[in-house]
Order: sequence, then C-alpha cells, then structure tokens
Amino acid sequence: MTINPSKSRGHSARVARARVGYLLEVPALLALGAIAIYPLLFNLWLSTRNDVLINPAATRGVGLGNYVTLIQSATFWHDLGRTLFFMVVSVTLEFLVGLGLALVVHREFKARGLVRASILIPWAIPTAVSALLWKMFFDLRSGFVDFALHSLHLPGSQLVWFNSPTLAWVPIIMSDMWKNTPFIALLLLAGLQTIPQELYESARIDGAGGFQAFWAITLPSLRPSIMVALIFRTLSALLVFDAVYVMTGGGPGRATEVVAYYNWSKFMVSLNFGYGATIAVSITLIALVLAGLYVRVLRAQGGLSA
Amino acid sequence: MSVSSYRTLGAIGAGLMLSVGLAGCGSAPSASGPQTVNLVFATQGLGTEAQATATAVKGFEKLHPHIHVTIQTMSASSNQAYQSLVTDLTSGSVTPDVITSDVIWPATFASAKWILPLNQFHPNLSAFFPGMVQASTYHGKLYAMPWFINVEGLYYRKDLVPTPPTTFSQLAADAKSVTASHSGMIGLAFEGAKYEGAVTVFQDVSGGFGGSFLNSSGQPVLNSPQNIAALTWLDNAIKSGIAPASVTGWQEGNVQKVFLSGQAVFGTNWPYLYPLAEQSGSNVIGKVGFVPTPISGSGTPTASLGGDVLVINKNTKYPKQSWELLQYLTSASTMTQRALISGDPPARTDAYTSTLLSKAPWFKQEETVYKYATPRPVTPLYPEISAKIQEALSATYSGQETPTKALNAAQTAVKAIIAKGG
Repeated sequence: MTINPSKSRGHSARVARARVGYLLEVPALLALGAIAIYPLLFNLWLSTRNDVLINPAATRGVGLGNYVTLIQSATFWHDLGRTLFFMVVSVTLEFLVGLGLALVVHREFKARGLVRASILIPWAIPTAVSALLWKMFFDLRSGFVDFALHSLHLPGSQLVWFNSPTLAWVPIIMSDMWKNTPFIALLLLAGLQTIPQELYESARIDGAGGFQAFWAITLPSLRPSIMVALIFRTLSALLVFDAVYVMTGGGPGRATEVVAYYNWSKFMVSLNFGYGATIAVSITLIALVLAGLYVRVLRAQGGLSA
Repeated sequence: MSVSSYRTLGAIGAGLMLSVGLAGCGSAPSASGPQTVNLVFATQGLGTEAQATATAVKGFEKLHPHIHVTIQTMSASSNQAYQSLVTDLTSGSVTPDVITSDVIWPATFASAKWILPLNQFHPNLSAFFPGMVQASTYHGKLYAMPWFINVEGLYYRKDLVPTPPTTFSQLAADAKSVTASHSGMIGLAFEGAKYEGAVTVFQDVSGGFGGSFLNSSGQPVLNSPQNIAALTWLDNAIKSGIAPASVTGWQEGNVQKVFLSGQAVFGTNWPYLYPLAEQSGSNVIGKVGFVPTPISGSGTPTASLGGDVLVINKNTKYPKQSWELLQYLTSASTMTQRALISGDPPARTDAYTSTLLSKAPWFKQEETVYKYATPRPVTPLYPEISAKIQEALSATYSGQETPTKALNAAQTAVKAIIAKGG
C-alpha cells in the first residue's frame, strides 16, 4: 500500500493550523498568567511570610503562622460576621426587587426599550461614585433623605445616620441595592425571555391563574438565571469594600467594618503585606466554598447539566 | 489577592514603563560635557499650588541648566497619594526622585528604607520651625526637608467674641451665650468623622488638657486622665449641643463651609481657611481670628502639626541633583514666592518677609499659632496608632463607648502594636 500523499499533506496542514492556533492563544494566556495566575500564586507565597514593609529586616518565611494569627483574631471573625450579615441582607433585597423589576420590564408597554435602558444606568456608575452620592443623599444638612422624611412627616428626620452603629448600614445597603439590583434584573430578564410562551398558554387552558403560572412555570424555568445572579452577587457582596470605605470608613467605631476593609487596612495602614495576603487568600477560600455550595445546589436541582 | 496583586501589577507596570523610558534615554551623551539629568518630582497640589510649583521649578532649571525637572502630580487625596507612593517605592522604582511627603510619612518611609538620610548633605536647619524639623527626624537622622507648615488651630468670630477664650470652659460658655442670642448658629464646628482629621483635633484638645499620645519613652498613654478629660469635653460638646451631632461626619471641608457662611462661632481648621475667609465669597470678611486651641488647668496650648516635607527616593540615580532641588525649594526666597502665589505657609521663619506680611497680613496671626506646633508621634507605626485613636473617637461620639472605655481599648491595642512593631 502506498501512502496517500494528499492525506499526509492534509495532516501537516492541520498541524500547521493547530500551531498557528496555539501561537494565537499565547498572548491571551500570557495576559491571563500575568494578571490572574501569577498574582494568585505570588499572594499565596506572600501569605506564608512575615513581610512588614516598615521592618524589612524581619522579612522571613513563617509557614502557616499568619493563618494561625488570623484564626485567633477576634477582629477578623467580627468583620466576617458583619460581612455575612451585609451579604444576606443586600443580596436578598436585591434579588426580590430585581425579580420584580425584571417581571415588569418583561411585559409589553410603551417606551419599554427606554425603561430597560434607564434601569441600567445605576449599574454603569462606579461603586465609589454611587457610594459618595448616597452619602450625600443621607447628609442631614444637604441630603434629600432628611428633607423627604421631614416633608412627609415620617420618622427618621433629624437623624445622623452615619453616627449610629445600626442605622449606618441603611445608606450602605441602599447604595449597594441601587447599583446592583439592575444587574440582577438584567440577568433575570434574559432568563424570562427564554421561557416558551406555549407553556403559559397551555397552563391557561388547564385553568391555572397568574400566580399559579408564576409559581409553577416562571420560577422553575428561571432557576438557572437565578442561580447565576445569586452567585455573582453573593461573591461580590463578600468582597464589599468601596461603599464602606467611602461612606463610613468602617465606623462609627468599627460598626460597619467588613473583611475587605480589614484586609485593606492590614495592607495599606499597617503595611503588613504577609498578613494582608493571608486575609486575601482566606477571603478567596471562603468565596470558593460559597461558589461550590451554589453549584451543588444547582446540580442537585438539575439546573446545571454537567 | 486585592492589594497585593495591585502591588505586583504596579511593579510589572513600572518595570515596563521603566524599560521603555530607559530605551528612550539610551542615547544620552555620556563622555563629553555635563550630562543633562532628568529629575521626576512627585508632588500634590492643584490650582495656585501647582502654579507655585511650576514657577519654582522653572526658577530652579534656570539656575541649573543641566537638570530638567518633570512634575508628576499625585492625587489631591492624601490617602490615595500615599497608596500610589507605597506602590512605587516597594517596587524599587528609581523615580520619582524627589517626593512631597505629608509630615506623618517620613518615619514610615525611613524605616522601610525607601528614602535617603539627608545628613550627608549637611543641611542648615536653624531657620526652620523646630516642630517641622522634629517631624522630619527619625532615629536621630534627618530624612526630610520641611517645605510648608500647617497647624490646626481655633478660628473664632471677632465680631461675636471680642476676646478669644483661653480655657475650654470659657469656650463652651462663649459658644452657649452667642448661640443663645443668635438662633440657628453653631457654637463649635469641628472635624469628627472617622479619619485622620479627627485625630488632629483630639491632639489639640488633649494637649490643652495636658495629655499626649505617647510618653517620652515612646509608650502609649492614651487612657491618661488628661486624655479622658479631653475626649469627655469633646463628647459633651456634641451631647450638650454646642456642636451639632453632624460633626461626627464632618471633615475640614464641612467645617470650612459652615464657618465661611457665617453659621459658626468657633471652628477648628488649618491656615488655608484664613485667606478664604478674607476673600469674596466669604460671609465673614474682617470678622475672623485664629488662635491656638485653649487649655484647661495645667495643659499647654497645642497646635497639631501638619504640612508637607520633601524627601529623596533612596533608589534615585541622581542624589546630588535631587538635593540641589530640595535646597532650592526650601530656600527662604522660594518659600516666600510660594506663599505669595498659593498661600502655603513657609516652614522657615525668615521667609515671612515684610512684603509677604503686607500682602497676606493673616500670616502674622498664624505665626502666633505656629509657636505651639506639636508633631504627631514620629514613628513608622503612627498610621496604625492613628487608626486605633480614630476608632476610639468614633465609638465615643456615636455613644457605643464611654470616653474611658474607648481610650482603654485604644491603649491596649496601641500597646500591642508597639510591642509587636518596636
């Protein structure tokens, strides 16, 4: 038997094409390596060192020493508790409001495109800017919140919101909701649009009411979108920093101090890069655990085919 | 992840820029004639301050034709400027060569070995305000040249309070009597937000009550009876209504606003406010006085020292030329020129010439406060110590802790910080 020359030529052409393919991937891989993988590994390495910039002579490896310090730090656990509180409250509220918004803009009405576009505006504004805006809104002398409460004879006027350990959370959560609810609404709207209209029609023929249809068709069909939205929001709520930094600086006292703020202060106030890296790695691990839990729930409910 | 990856990224970015930069100057003449040197001067300041810097740099370049200075403007926010400097300096970057530093940074920079000790250049410091020199000195070595001085003092309304109070009880009484007859006025406006500015106010009051943050051997004395009395006084000012509860969120800008609009009898702030009070747009032209904060019992008038100093990057390729720039910028004539353009108060006494005092008469009154300038603790641990004091002040003002409990907690925390870091 003779080797078919055209076949061998085809083979080498395929190899050449594959080589070009790999070559074209190189820049992307390098970029990914430089901005994601290298920092992650570097950070992991840094977390095993005593590296305080103001004391360069004491730089040395300490194994898991920083992690022991972290586990024994009451501040860290308090801050983590506050972060989880913020996460649960803000994500729940954002989800409920976002679902409502998605259902509304899913309907046919005049100027729907305009409304859809405009609910996205807050999402396009940088977090630090929206936090600054909300800080001003809640200012006793110049903010509209006090003015509105006063004019409507509602309780809460003449309050210095940021001077109360509990009320200081209200502006923080409000600004977070204002910015992130549109994101959830957008994801859920995309999910709503994939639900076949026939399902609703046959439900109606079977005599289901609006609420029943929502419960039996809309929600189950939306589950994958809901999960994606919740994972994204939960993880970014875990990392909440800008709003706290801009609005309260973790205050009053340390009533609104969250883990990302603790992390920042170890890096930039204490210049303790080793311990700072340890906190960062720990937050990453917590995020991974949370993401893993979500994925499990999603798989268990058949929302994710894996 | 967060900041450390930024740090790494910063290092990579700086490296890239550096290699591009080096490639650019690779063809500079090396053997024949004096080499033209390019210095990078990282500084803060916009508007008239930027104008003053540009004027000074032009004058310097005229005098030193072979040195070219590039001005790199840092963020106007002190925190952000600090963070970008930390990124540059940890990466070992050779630029910026000369850096404008807040008066509280040199100790940190020196202990991180990022800046040059300046004693090798034999600086003459006799004309400078002693507080500024003290803040520039760490472990017996000079690390910075004082550039302009800033002190936190008490602004008062000359038209409503003919003689400024010298004791804290008199201040409270004056504030009460004026606000009783002028409804809607604020007795005392001060910086009470959880940030560095609240610490400088507290330092003024603490010193007035005879307290301090650290004792002479560098150990914390935050919960001393004097400090507790000082914090109790500030807390009572809020609780009794002399200061509105909103001061718990106020920074310098908020105090400036209410004082310039004529709504406050007293306000704690820095010298920058004085020229603003005397120019159009102010409701208090000719009605303003500036004095050190009062005292109580055996306390001494204390004016928290702020201001800017100049430091040299340890990795600079041009230490000699950098020093020449420092010397030029901190000379009496350049400082006078800067004060005339931007109002920044010179850090040396001989820069207050008669020309300056006739054009900006308020400097005369400000000088009476400079006398009491007291630096914040000169230690690389200061940022951490300050964070603990900020927590204590904020926890007190918000009613979460009593002054005693809050300062006890700060004392314990700062003791641990110093034990670990010292």
